[in-house]
Amino acid sequence: MKRLSSRLIGVVFLLWAVFTLTFFLSRFAPGNPFQGDRKLPPEIMANLLAYYHLDRPLGVQYLEALRHALLGDFGGSFKNPGLSVNEMIARALPVSLTLGGVALLESLVFALIIGMGIALCGARTSAFLKTFATSLVALPSFLLATVMIAVFSSKLGLLPPALWEGWRSLILPSLSMSLAPAGYLARVFATSLEETRSSPFYQAARGHGIASRFLLFRHLIAPSLNGVVSILGPLGASLLTGSFVVESIFAIPGLGRVFVLSVMNRDYPLIMGTTMVYTVLLAVMTLAGDFLVERVDPRIRAL
Amino acid sequence: MALTKGSAGLRRLIFLVFVFVVFFGSASFLLSPSVMNPQAQDARQVLCPPGTPGHFLGCDFLGRDNLARLLSGSTVSLGIGLSVGVLSTLFGAVWGVVSGSSGGVTDQVMMRILEVWFALPELLIATILLLLLGHGALAVVVALTFGGWMGVARVVRGETLKIREQLYMEASRSIGTPPVRMILRHFLPNLLPVMGVLLLFRIPGGILGESTLSFLGLGISPPQSSWGTLVNEGFKALPMTPWMLAWPAIAILTTLLSFQWLSQKLGEPK
Repeated sequence: MKRLSSRLIGVVFLLWAVFTLTFFLSRFAPGNPFQGDRKLPPEIMANLLAYYHLDRPLGVQYLEALRHALLGDFGGSFKNPGLSVNEMIARALPVSLTLGGVALLESLVFALIIGMGIALCGARTSAFLKTFATSLVALPSFLLATVMIAVFSSKLGLLPPALWEGWRSLILPSLSMSLAPAGYLARVFATSLEETRSSPFYQAARGHGIASRFLLFRHLIAPSLNGVVSILGPLGASLLTGSFVVESIFAIPGLGRVFVLSVMNRDYPLIMGTTMVYTVLLAVMTLAGDFLVERVDPRIRAL
Repeated sequence: MALTKGSAGLRRLIFLVFVFVVFFGSASFLLSPSVMNPQAQDARQVLCPPGTPGHFLGCDFLGRDNLARLLSGSTVSLGIGLSVGVLSTLFGAVWGVVSGSSGGVTDQVMMRILEVWFALPELLIATILLLLLGHGALAVVVALTFGGWMGVARVVRGETLKIREQLYMEASRSIGTPPVRMILRHFLPNLLPVMGVLLLFRIPGGILGESTLSFLGLGISPPQSSWGTLVNEGFKALPMTPWMLAWPAIAILTTLLSFQWLSQKLGEPK
């Protein structure tokens, strides 16, 4: 319990640090959100700045923003008048969560299949699968996405190239996000499978002549899962937040696209809102991952 | 047998393409613009197919030579990747060495800062930093360096702690060697192999970061070309031609795959 409370204090500190960094980084950036292609008359600019409280001293702005953020209010978006940051996040977050969740599930399934293949197949297939998994890790998601759109949407016309309409539009984006982590996870899983196979308890179980299916699942696969599980937290976090590349490509109205647009538009409240949501997600996923490891592996719980 | 042989052959081919990309990519700025100008537009040659005389890889939608654009883009992307790799490895290593060798409160504080930094994904940090730095190659290098040094720092600190426990370090401490001299004489030479391996991971990381940012329009901005902007343009031109996407995609893939296999080879105990 003491560990949990100290971890929570760490999370609070993290949130504050990220808030402060993001605030000052975005305020010290040259230009302001209302400098567009058309030059505004100075009076209008002054009015706009005053309306959004951007004419006040930076320290006052910071404390004001911090006070509101503590109450869970990130204010209104600069570039989408009439929409609050909270509304925009509430609309976009479920989309990103769905996409990230599906991608996480896919990468797990692929990783378990490929990992078993590496560990249990013959030497030749195993070597091939190993190279395959390693190569998957090197595939950038934005490249996978564009190439898959080129092949499956433009050329073959099988799947929609963009937008968020039904399960068919989930396939390409989730695949382009999940293949690289799948390769990495597969390597991790295969390594722990091989370790388990040479461990004394597995050899003993085998020597006892335990039925092969029970042996496979109970004595080989289950003890080998902890490596995979310990990555799930950070991986889930990176899939949820890393979707901003893929969402921009597929024009999916998720949090990632909101984030990229907010950065391009210098929409301060929106940048702050999305960054904080990301940070919370990351912290929660990392914490959840660590506790999951303890639940799955009694050896760690005993420590 | 055929399976492994086939994949080994493919690997060799990909490696060969990578060597070509690196060689010509790094030599391209030596070519005079009269031979190869990535910005020269030829309205009669818009979207000419690969193999057109004078345009070996075809032309883009403005009639610019794909080969020239790919090569100048390779210079930018490889240069940024290399700079980010070297700088982030150095920065991370210095952080790790100072943190690990000093111990105590300094170590605690430096690790806390590292943890905050580590909690955020590389691209998120880089994107927010780019707000401050604007566009251009230098901005991208700085943003990605500060986005990606944390892994290096963590590994180097771990190694430093290991070195600190060695007997010769105790001897050195006992005769009162000043800390800076300890770092230069004892820690750095022992850390160099690890830093080499980390560098091999960081360079492709930098290349990937640059191309992703530029692809999204946050990094290098057109008309300057980099692999990221080229993929972006190729993606937009997809209804008209697949080639503009194919060339930079091949360059990125061969480069990243080669680095991946190289570091895998080094990681395997032989």
